[in-house]
Amino acid sequence: MSTEQITAPGAPSPSGGTAARPGPRTRAHAGRGPRSLTTRRAWAFYVFAAPWVLGFLALTAFPLGYALWLSLTNADGLSQNSRFVGLENYREVLTDPETMSSLARTGVFVAITVPLSIAAGLLLAVLVNQPIRARGLFRTLLYLPAIVPPVGAALTFKLIFDRDSGAANGVLDALHVNGVSWLMDPYARWVLVTLTLWGAGNTMIISLAGLQDIPKELHEAARVDGANAWQSFTKITVPMLSPVLFFQVITGIIAAVQSFLPLLISLDPTPRGVTSVPESNYLFMINVFAQYFANGRYGYASAMLWLLFLIIVAITFLVFRLSKGAVFYSVDPEAAKPSRQRTIGGK
Amino acid sequence: MTSLDRRRFLAVSAGTALAATGLSACAGSVDNGTNGSGSGKTTLTVMTVENEWDKKGLKAAEEALGMDLNVIIWDATKLNAMLAAKNPPDVVRGFGATETPYFAARGLMTDLDPYFAKSSVLKPSDLDPVNDVWRYDGKKQGAGPRYGMAKDYSQDSMFWYRTDLFEAAKLDVPGATDPISYDEWLDLGKKLVKRRLGKVKVYGLNATGMGVFPQLMGMTASAGGSLFAEDLATVDFSSPEALKALRWYLDYAKADIGPSVVNPNPDGWDGPTYQANRMAMSCNGYWFGGLIGADPKLAEVSRFAPAPQLGGNRVSSCFGATGFWIPRDAKNKDAAWKFFEWYFAGKPAQDRAASGWGIPSLKSLRPNMPQTNAFQKQAFQVQEQELPHFSVLSFTPYAQQAALEGVLNKVLPGAVKSGTSAGKVADQLNSRMNEALAQGKELVG
Repeated sequence: MSTEQITAPGAPSPSGGTAARPGPRTRAHAGRGPRSLTTRRAWAFYVFAAPWVLGFLALTAFPLGYALWLSLTNADGLSQNSRFVGLENYREVLTDPETMSSLARTGVFVAITVPLSIAAGLLLAVLVNQPIRARGLFRTLLYLPAIVPPVGAALTFKLIFDRDSGAANGVLDALHVNGVSWLMDPYARWVLVTLTLWGAGNTMIISLAGLQDIPKELHEAARVDGANAWQSFTKITVPMLSPVLFFQVITGIIAAVQSFLPLLISLDPTPRGVTSVPESNYLFMINVFAQYFANGRYGYASAMLWLLFLIIVAITFLVFRLSKGAVFYSVDPEAAKPSRQRTIGGK
Repeated sequence: MTSLDRRRFLAVSAGTALAATGLSACAGSVDNGTNGSGSGKTTLTVMTVENEWDKKGLKAAEEALGMDLNVIIWDATKLNAMLAAKNPPDVVRGFGATETPYFAARGLMTDLDPYFAKSSVLKPSDLDPVNDVWRYDGKKQGAGPRYGMAKDYSQDSMFWYRTDLFEAAKLDVPGATDPISYDEWLDLGKKLVKRRLGKVKVYGLNATGMGVFPQLMGMTASAGGSLFAEDLATVDFSSPEALKALRWYLDYAKADIGPSVVNPNPDGWDGPTYQANRMAMSCNGYWFGGLIGADPKLAEVSRFAPAPQLGGNRVSSCFGATGFWIPRDAKNKDAAWKFFEWYFAGKPAQDRAASGWGIPSLKSLRPNMPQTNAFQKQAFQVQEQELPHFSVLSFTPYAQQAALEGVLNKVLPGAVKSGTSAGKVADQLNSRMNEALAQGKELVG
């Protein structure tokens, strides 16, 4: 093991002065160049970072680049005669009414499910944050649906809402009410929304963690000042929770735009099955899957995915811009840039 | 030693990643015959359905073959990805009737003629004609090199019915020799369906066991026409024969007497529904008798009938001919052929033939078909009478069945609900399917 003293550049040296670059070295390193320590540190950094970088290059950058290349071809993945088609796929994506309508449907789905999931999660979090008996049990029960594997949940819903043999129509039957084709239009979308909300335990647990971070003193002070429960909730709880809610909005939008698994409620997950999704649930990712594996249009589907990627980036950027002034940070984000401030101040 | 700057580091990392990818691709093309197990035995990668073998069965198969089997559960997306990466399984399960032209036209299948020529076990003279669906000469199905083999088969437009439900409805059962017409079949379905408060309690009929598109192909053929043009590059739903078939299907879906594109069966297939006394007639071939025969009570009330006909041209095709094929880039082709000989002619084939789950694809195994009880005798007799009407209906090489079913699934539900005329529906189907076929044709050339 080296006996080298590790001293950060610019830090006070053991001898009292400020260590000039490079730091002190033992005799073993003498004569190996003035940048030896920097190089060793760089090596250490690169070695530790290498697994992630290699993983990123092989599993993210390469597939992304390959998908970008595919999107410029008419490849079906199996034929030898695919050719470069330039931006033709992108033109077709933007002018294909079916693709655009699946995108619009996805937008509506996001607009419905994201606010509802966050609101439901917040409501549940507030409820299970109350000092009630068996609170832990309620928290567990409400969180359970969120840990059910999505495929299992989807298949369960499929059985519950089947028109001819499902439990939902069984209940209606017992009440002498006509059964409904829940998994077909126009009901299918509402079953999907219900399934999505059924997993609101996820947002509940995040909101609950945020709620528990709010200092009790703030609510006590508000009560002393005469605030009622609603005022306390809207003026203290929500602003203090706004970074958490903002996080849920961003991640919720990204997840909802890419929704695929819940759609298993109305199909079997084979290429043929995917094409039988009812119109109202024919979201963008279902369309992508069908284009890839039912129609064998790898190029076109890749263009669809790149378009989706750009849309997600744009939405994220937009939400960040709109959040300014709406999200309250207990720690000033600007204060998190001391070095820059200092540098500027130093000048 | 010089400092490793970020740019060089990233360049080196990228190079390493690409090299790793390249190396793995190279490794995939090496056929050393001893991959995987480390025991010196060949490991054969077989892509098949989940219930092909249980643990005991898999061990017995490995012992019989003298090789290790690496079983991959069949998955269309995974298969496509493996084929695209030129690293496919050694043996792949598939539907000969609908998949052979697609994969063969893309040069993805191994020509098995040299193997058949050398084999003392699988002789071409012993092959049932159904194996011709695994042939493709570049233009049509049924001729040219053999690319695979059926494990067993059925004539998939034939149907099973429950005598108890016919008795309850006071209806005469269908004849065992002469086929009924599609209109008669629909009429029977309407009379057999049982409803309660908007729900179907007992389906009268399921008209499509193997998908809507092949069924429409068969119906059109029985009316004397063809859905595909001669070059298999276009469909025509507007011909009088195809229009007749389409109109019938729209009527069937509208009548809501059984699973359809408007209300699919949640079970995914007829087995559980039929077994639970919830389906009077099920359009499935001889193979379905394997399920029925395993349940004595069900066997007592089940009977088999010839394929209904839409016109005077008696056709009774096979839409599956499920079997195996060997990808062109498979690493262990000789071992794969050994698997073929064992699976298609050895004990597994003999057991399958005796089980009633399909007609054996070797003529020599046909005597093994079960004929012990009344149910088996009736089914065998009806099946024997149907065999002369078997014919190969060529499928297109330019699209997968899923793509064509996808168009049907997009167009038909709305048409059924809105009552759109069959002529307009035909126009929509022609336009969308022909667009997909044209894209495929451009790629195949």
